[in-house]
Amino acid sequence: MKHKDELAKIVGRENVSDAEDVVLRYSRDLSLVPPGRPELVVWPTNAEQVSDILKWSNKHNIPAVPVSSGIHFNGGAVPRQGGVVLDLSKMNRVLEIDQDIKQVRIEAGVTWGQLTAELAKQDMRVIMPLAPHADRSVLSDFLDREVPTNTVYDYGEPMQAFEVVWPTGDIFRLGSASVNGYPDSGSHGGNPSGPGIDFYRFVQGAQGTMGVVTWTNLKIVHGTKKDKVFFAPVDDLAYAQEFLYRLLPRRVGQEVVLLNQTDLAALVAENFPGDFERLRATLPPWTLVIVISGLARRPEEKIAYEVKFLQELVKNEFRGLTVDEALPGFPGLGSRMLPLLRNPWPADGPYWKNRWQGASQSLFFIARPEETPRFVEIVESIAPQYGYPVADIGSYIQPIEHNRACQVEFTFFYDRKDEACIAALYMDAARALVGEGALFTRPYGDLAPMVYERAASYVSGLKRVKKIFDPNNIMNPGNLCF
Amino acid sequence: MAILKEAYKALETIVGARYLSDDPVICQGYQSGPAGYENGTGYERVMTKLPGAVILPRSTEEVQKIVKICVRYTIPYVPYSTGFYGPRSHCHVGNELLIDLKRLNDFEFDEKHWYATVGSGVVYSQFQEECLRRGGYVVIGGGGAQASVIANLIGDGWSPLSHRIGLPHRRILGTEMVLPDGEILRMGSLAVGDDWYWGDGIGPDLRGLLRGYTGLRGCLGIVTRMAVKVLPFQPERLQPTGISPNTALALPEKRVKWINYIMPSKEAQVKAMYEICKAEIGGAVTKVPLFWRAIAKAECKEEFWDLWLKETPETVANFHIVRVLLIGFTSEEQLTYDENVLSDIMMELGGQPRRTKPSDESWIKNADSAGMWLMCGSYVSVDYVIETLKQATEHGPVYAELKKKYTPPLMPDHGDPGWFQTFELGYQGYSEFLIYWDQDEDTTGVDHFYLETSKMNIDHRFYTALIGPHQPLYLTGPKYGPNYHEWMLKIKNEFDPTWTCHPPVPFAHDEFVERAPWMHELKTWESPKKSIYPKWLEKQLAAEAREFRESLQERK
Repeated sequence: MKHKDELAKIVGRENVSDAEDVVLRYSRDLSLVPPGRPELVVWPTNAEQVSDILKWSNKHNIPAVPVSSGIHFNGGAVPRQGGVVLDLSKMNRVLEIDQDIKQVRIEAGVTWGQLTAELAKQDMRVIMPLAPHADRSVLSDFLDREVPTNTVYDYGEPMQAFEVVWPTGDIFRLGSASVNGYPDSGSHGGNPSGPGIDFYRFVQGAQGTMGVVTWTNLKIVHGTKKDKVFFAPVDDLAYAQEFLYRLLPRRVGQEVVLLNQTDLAALVAENFPGDFERLRATLPPWTLVIVISGLARRPEEKIAYEVKFLQELVKNEFRGLTVDEALPGFPGLGSRMLPLLRNPWPADGPYWKNRWQGASQSLFFIARPEETPRFVEIVESIAPQYGYPVADIGSYIQPIEHNRACQVEFTFFYDRKDEACIAALYMDAARALVGEGALFTRPYGDLAPMVYERAASYVSGLKRVKKIFDPNNIMNPGNLCF
Repeated sequence: MAILKEAYKALETIVGARYLSDDPVICQGYQSGPAGYENGTGYERVMTKLPGAVILPRSTEEVQKIVKICVRYTIPYVPYSTGFYGPRSHCHVGNELLIDLKRLNDFEFDEKHWYATVGSGVVYSQFQEECLRRGGYVVIGGGGAQASVIANLIGDGWSPLSHRIGLPHRRILGTEMVLPDGEILRMGSLAVGDDWYWGDGIGPDLRGLLRGYTGLRGCLGIVTRMAVKVLPFQPERLQPTGISPNTALALPEKRVKWINYIMPSKEAQVKAMYEICKAEIGGAVTKVPLFWRAIAKAECKEEFWDLWLKETPETVANFHIVRVLLIGFTSEEQLTYDENVLSDIMMELGGQPRRTKPSDESWIKNADSAGMWLMCGSYVSVDYVIETLKQATEHGPVYAELKKKYTPPLMPDHGDPGWFQTFELGYQGYSEFLIYWDQDEDTTGVDHFYLETSKMNIDHRFYTALIGPHQPLYLTGPKYGPNYHEWMLKIKNEFDPTWTCHPPVPFAHDEFVERAPWMHELKTWESPKKSIYPKWLEKQLAAEAREFRESLQERK
């Protein structure tokens, strides 16, 4: 009771809870990470309250776990060592949208559903990962380095200047938001770098272990005027990658994704299991999806030159590939695909990965595109050892920035009763992939020790930095290498 | 006190006698000054020293051994690649070891994945040529093609080509660094293997230690090798033409084209930039100050002055050019599309195209910084600012106003409000404000202006590059973050507890203000009473401050 009373003084009694149902709700997520029970959940409404909570946590040496989204898939928000969960969902304002500088400022609790609706009113949009859940926090996903489906921009990294409350409780604004009095200032938050060093880098990919980001500026783009969706059925993944190595550096396409039949069926099926099974059985092994868009001016001309290049490339160098606006046998797929790529997944039903079997676990990492066939082979050789059918594995390859790299994601769809088996498969596959050079830059849960044992000098550096910002290790302890 | 004989011998065993020298003639070659940048400022006179010795390692392992010896014997050291960046990258305390990294010049290209791995000694002229050969390109920083790629990327790293290319901190991939205590830190994909292709950290990203807005000037370790993003260009070769120094790259007209537009007003000029960014066209979009045109036309100082003195504050104020580089990345049709869109925008805004040479004399080729000290002998970018286009277009006139007070000794420039351009297709705007002076004259006004700009930025709540190691941290620190200086100090103490790595940076400008009597009148902020340095450095800085005071007395 003492802790609850003390926190109530900071956030108000209505914003702190130790009710059993509440605590249980925060003790686990949809991942395979084992549950961890928090003592209390608090809902701060501003940075000052976050600061006071973290100072309190330091004083009592109680873990603090920041949570922004309404739904979690990777275990990063499970309070592995108990403590207090800071649920930032009440900090959910879209603070400003500036069309000239193509920037929006949002609080941590702003969801994909909320932001896309707000931006659409001004014919703006945000480049996004593949079908993010509408209740996910936009800020959390970008802090977590979720990879956007857009491949054409040279500069990635949508987050601009932001505010972080360091684990010590110090409120800090970084980049060009660091000026005194921001946003009432000559600076507008368009540069995340500095001051002094690149503080923003320490918070990225940190799974809430390096502080609490309360708001961020974010890049947005103007709406497209016209779009054409192209599909290419792919039997040979290596061949498709060679095609992307040629196509994407020429800056053709906006969204480009490569999905196997199981993932594509899970994404576009209108009902389960009927439509899903039909699609899965008839779709090609892989489908390459390329969206070509006309922008603010002369949209038809832009589409025309990109399409011309695409068609000539196929004709002259990749005759084994058929790229068309329709995927043979799947009429209307284009009109279904585009909204899926430009909108979050609706919150009023199960997430696309969980529609089929009720649960799923994704394994994702960064790789060289040319290595992807090998990684697919590895996972397909391990799955049967656990009785998991190869045909049930969802595979998604997301090219990054002109195909200089890609994110590979394998999804194991499963029934909750098979959780133990899937957990073993997941770990075994991860171990094999790590051994073969898969780069897990976002190691959640039990993946972390597996990855960090190979990165001795990096771990040492991380711990030295962590000690400076979080001397008592109160921020989400038990995650990563902390 | 020279570098201990015992330590010197130990260093010699690492690189051999050929690559270590304390010969005064050799050391003199590493004096700050003749390159023009910040030449003759008070900071240079007060804060730079000749090295006690110079060492040229060949590998990361040799750098590591050198650093460990420096830590053991408390020998201050500074990493040095090309020395372009004026006094800030030169020795700041006596008997300092200058570690010249030019022999770390290995270079590997991965064409398929658009990056190259470079050593600290690789310079941009080599890099850009290799990129162009392979259908790629990079941003050659405004410092020029003679600058080290790594030093530039962890310091600055931008140019008008940044219109499309990401900020420098986004172009750094796998990186190897010798920390100030001699430990090796491998970042990005290199953290878990020997592959360089990816930059993000495993979890939190320690690339945050490499740089800030602008760099740390070598006070937090030595980067020995880095993988750097290359950007896909277009397939046709740019043909070198001309005879040095009047060289250029001839552009394939259907694929690459510079176009200059005269705009009717600054408002139209700025609006054009917004519209170009909204339409997502172009490879570079920049304002061209009238000043640049005079520099570009002049072949000698006298010719520059003949041209420049014909201008007036009115001609400068009413000169609104938008210079656009169009690149047919996809095809010739793309260039046509971009040109049509640009034409539409300019038609709407009253922009008039000017005949533009079908060649590139500067930004793709070499970023011609050498011309910048033609007029007076010395210059500095007193501030360069990556923020939004909103700040970029408002910032310059404020500078110009302050500058009037300090002209002379600053060169009369008819109230030129600097240069601005777009970055990352409009997510950032850039402004830069250059000043020029004669280093043989009294430069007190230059020193004052430099520091006063920092106060001006604080007052106007502008974000600015030259906070960090370029201004007094106890002036700017409380006003940005707030207290970013305290976090920097903690990081410095954690990774360099002996402060042997380029001391007293990042607090060198604080030290300069304390030491230089002519700066005292500007000191309106508090500094800690207690020294922040370890004993050896506190003692050495005190002795050097005393020595400087005595030298001033003698001169009087």
